[in-house]
Amino acid sequence: MNCYRFLAKDALSAFLAFLAERERVLVPVEKNGARSSVVFEEWHEGLPFTMLKSTVPPKAAVLPQCEVLFTCRRVPDEGDQNRHVMVLDDTLTAQPTVIVATRPCDARGFAVLDRPYLNGLYQDPYYAARRKELTVLTLTCPTGCESCFCHWVGGGPSSPEGSDVLLTEIEGGYLCQSVTEKGRSLLERSALPDGEDRLASMQEARKKAYQSLGRAPDLKTAPQRISERFSDLDFWNRWTEACISCGACTYFCPTCYCFTITDEGDPAHAEGGRRLRSWDNCMSSLFTREASGHNPRRKKAERMRNRISHKYATYPENWGVFSCSGCGRCVSNCPTGIDIRAILLSALGKEEDMISHGTQSKETGQ
Amino acid sequence: MTTITNPRMPHGITPRPLLPHANAYAPMLATVHEIIEESPTIKSIRVVLNDDEAQRSFTFEPGQVGQLSVFGAGEATFVISSPPSEKRFLQFSVMLAGEVTAAIHRLSVGETVGVRAPLGNFFPYKDWFGKNVFFIAGGIGIAPIRTIMLHVLEHAENYGSLHLLFGARKPGDLAFKQDIPDWLTRSDLDCTLCVDRADESWSHKTGMVPSVLEELAPQPENTVAVLCGPPVMIKYTIETLEKLGFSPEHIITTLEKRMKCGIGICGRCNIGGLYVCVDGPVFSWKTLQGLPNEL
Amino acid sequence: MSGLTQGERRELRIVGFLCNWCSYGGADTAGVARASQPTDLRIIRVPCSGRVDPLFVVKALLNGADGVLVSGCHPRDCHYGTGNFYARRRLEVLRRFLPVLGIDPKRFSYTWVSASEGQRWQTVVTRFTEEIHELGPAPRFMDAGPLEREIEQPASSPLHSLDSASLESLAALKQAIASRLPELDLVLGWQEGRDKAHLVPLFIRTPEDLDRLAIGPLAVHNLAVYLPELKGRKVGIVVKGCDGRSVVELLQEKLISREDVEIFAVACHGTFDTGRIDQALGRYQHLESVRMDGKELRITCDGRERHFSLENDSSTKCLHCKTPLSPLSDHSFGSAPSVGEGDSTPPDLARLDAMTLDERRAFWRSQMERCIRCYACRNACPLCVCRDHCISDTREPHFTTQESTAKEKFFFQIIHSLHLAGRCTGCGECQRSCPVGIPILALREHLIRVTDELFPEYRAGMTVDAAAPLLTYSVEEPHIQEREW
Repeated sequence: MNCYRFLAKDALSAFLAFLAERERVLVPVEKNGARSSVVFEEWHEGLPFTMLKSTVPPKAAVLPQCEVLFTCRRVPDEGDQNRHVMVLDDTLTAQPTVIVATRPCDARGFAVLDRPYLNGLYQDPYYAARRKELTVLTLTCPTGCESCFCHWVGGGPSSPEGSDVLLTEIEGGYLCQSVTEKGRSLLERSALPDGEDRLASMQEARKKAYQSLGRAPDLKTAPQRISERFSDLDFWNRWTEACISCGACTYFCPTCYCFTITDEGDPAHAEGGRRLRSWDNCMSSLFTREASGHNPRRKKAERMRNRISHKYATYPENWGVFSCSGCGRCVSNCPTGIDIRAILLSALGKEEDMISHGTQSKETGQ
Repeated sequence: MTTITNPRMPHGITPRPLLPHANAYAPMLATVHEIIEESPTIKSIRVVLNDDEAQRSFTFEPGQVGQLSVFGAGEATFVISSPPSEKRFLQFSVMLAGEVTAAIHRLSVGETVGVRAPLGNFFPYKDWFGKNVFFIAGGIGIAPIRTIMLHVLEHAENYGSLHLLFGARKPGDLAFKQDIPDWLTRSDLDCTLCVDRADESWSHKTGMVPSVLEELAPQPENTVAVLCGPPVMIKYTIETLEKLGFSPEHIITTLEKRMKCGIGICGRCNIGGLYVCVDGPVFSWKTLQGLPNEL
Repeated sequence: MSGLTQGERRELRIVGFLCNWCSYGGADTAGVARASQPTDLRIIRVPCSGRVDPLFVVKALLNGADGVLVSGCHPRDCHYGTGNFYARRRLEVLRRFLPVLGIDPKRFSYTWVSASEGQRWQTVVTRFTEEIHELGPAPRFMDAGPLEREIEQPASSPLHSLDSASLESLAALKQAIASRLPELDLVLGWQEGRDKAHLVPLFIRTPEDLDRLAIGPLAVHNLAVYLPELKGRKVGIVVKGCDGRSVVELLQEKLISREDVEIFAVACHGTFDTGRIDQALGRYQHLESVRMDGKELRITCDGRERHFSLENDSSTKCLHCKTPLSPLSDHSFGSAPSVGEGDSTPPDLARLDAMTLDERRAFWRSQMERCIRCYACRNACPLCVCRDHCISDTREPHFTTQESTAKEKFFFQIIHSLHLAGRCTGCGECQRSCPVGIPILALREHLIRVTDELFPEYRAGMTVDAAAPLLTYSVEEPHIQEREW
């Protein structure tokens, strides 16, 4: 049974304060700089926050940009002061966290990460601990946007996958719908008033959002078609010409999860050594360069091919779904405007769809 | 004949010895027990797990790899080059290439290192019962070949005739010099050595591995070819084997890729949808043919 | 801290980089003569002051050093002939760079002490140590709190008129490219991207490609970034004034060859700050039209029209632009606006100028927190030519770690800036590319100001056969006032 509660706009801060009693609360915060951006930050009383879609997805909540896997120290042996022993400390602490106002594409991103991190041959204990402690309160989208395409890849503006609670903006506030048991008990614990009487407005808002989306191309054949394109280097070269091999597409992607492991510090030194896990970027040539100098993906086209194949062919082969939630951040954040939708459609031989979606030159006026 | 499902073919998962520790990223501590200078650029490091019980109960299959850590420098993946029957230590043979291998080469006996092992799949040696096995190794590629070859030799009664073709650039580069006299003289192994560039001391064959292989012309009937070496050697040796009539499922190789996690998550060692760290490193040429050409 | 008396004062951490041939000997001479010296200095012996990478100094200062002293042989006495001449230029640039980072330049000094000058060494080390004690322990970057006061962005007026006049050249440009296309492997230009408000790079090989060519104030990318990887091919490139300077700089550094590149220069009348446009457009679904009319840009999406003007919404780099037309070209189109006299300080830099050192650290710390190290800034920079060998990625040398602290991220910006000293043309691609809008161009703009002061005869990217100021030296440096001890 779903639980529905109403969160009035003017009760938002009180609701965050309620959440913050038990957990770390992450909210989108607008940052002003050379261009404005929205990032998730820990909420505290008085912090101005926004309900805008974040520029940086919230994946750091479960997979930090950099984390210490363990520390190591070389210390004198208790029994024999002339001998030394190495002491590793891999204690991990996962802070109970609730994310507020993430979007359905980002919540689906967690689901994409869950598969390799939780359900592969080995489980990742760091991720598992954080994921267990995470509650996701998702704000459904009121419309699509020019760079996003969630409905192409199995999602939608109110897709519940990966969320514990869905919030839908209706007049005066948000209707909160529990998706999971965790979400349900959170809503029940809260003092939010019942919202069943506003279900119709919620459905209306969600319907409107779906209706605002353009027609989605059929991507059923994508894994096969992209695999077939693998050796067509001309194709990949053409779509990669503008790429500058930075990490904007991968680091801003809610479903990209590759990482590197490096050591820092000196175990014999007072500060000790530490093994770090940090985000890594498959668009960089260094990602696959071996110590011998051999590199299976030396060319940027080969790296783009791997990125696209992973998202739409090999991850689906292994896990049955795309590793893309269509959030469009790789499109909007690419410094050279590379549009993954255009690559995808071109690989599928569906250039005509590209035009009707406004990803190319033709105007789309309705 | 008993067959074990191995290597993990798309897309079933093979049971294999699991890591003896809960956190797959945290290495077991081990102590350097012996260092053998194999060649000017290759050292074999023998390590003993600090936990006696862990060392005693440590099992692996030939061809499986381990992540060897020098704390502060990092970790890298190497095949366990001692045979599974060796219970006293684990051996890794390491060629000097980058930062981590340089740190490994600087190790001295008694120092503490980290080991995450065993990882990956292994040679499907039970599929070879009753067959002849032709081992081919180039340079540091001898490391995985050594472990499977010693294992097969220990159970030679299960196999037909056994051969080794081992090549290096020049005589000084041949690793495992202590083992070579035994390999050359034992009756259950037919061993051929070759170098690209010979010197006056050299009494074996001269030439690159693929051309010496062509000259030896092993019969493909009832024979499995097992090879390892640098990517370019693998490429040409496979071409030669195919020319000799070896079928793709009877050509077995083991691959190297840049790896970090070793447990199928970090995302860099994939060939198509397979990850060399968990789905490999051992692949049949038949499997590789079905994957994108991105070695 | 400065209140403590001499006897009980706490030792501070001062790092000294001393050249092996002179200053290390001078310190030794002072020691042998039993000249009393403060003990705060930790000496690192280097072969030559020319070996001191300015990054050594910044790294020390960011990681807890309270002061850094570099000492080498006197000019004309370098063991290697010229090492200290180069060092003098680099270290003076560094000294003047530190304040924009929020680091007190008094915490860094460089000087010359010969092996026989034990007494001079004693004076230098004593005085420098005294000065550092007067400043007290250095504030840590990671202790910087939030910036507490709003600092107004000062208004600045452009040095030349900003409008869309460049659009008029499109037909002539297309015609010129069409006639040259058969002999060129490709021509770099711009085209519409996901919609008309977002132009993207275009790689022209065929007449059909050429049909898509677009120019104008939304053509923001500096296409020179692609030239080094296309080396060896005959490449045409459409450039704005600032882009043209990058091409000149690449030619000067011999990263591309003149005979392989054909420059189609379009007179630029200003570009829009696309970040500001995106922010104003907000979330939209369908873009219906984009119209450029004189100074005004009208964008209609989801039925709403929004207006932008180059006067209010241009890229900040355009406000102080002095080169609306590329200094080097094979074909040129349109007439360049006349450039006014004088200099104007870029607005972000002017804002930093108005801050105290503490506020600058607070500013940078709060800005760098949201960096996710995608390195778009580095990869979009046409002069970041190390590509896959960037020292922020190497472990030998090991300047940066993977740690995601603001300090680590800021240090990368310092690396990038210092590696561009005397080379940066201020094209602003680093800042434009930053998806989270960190105003990093100000660091480069400050360095341009510093190199302008020190080497007024030189401007990066203007002349192919000029020598970059940090790759050469003068025996007498008219604009460097060395300190007296």
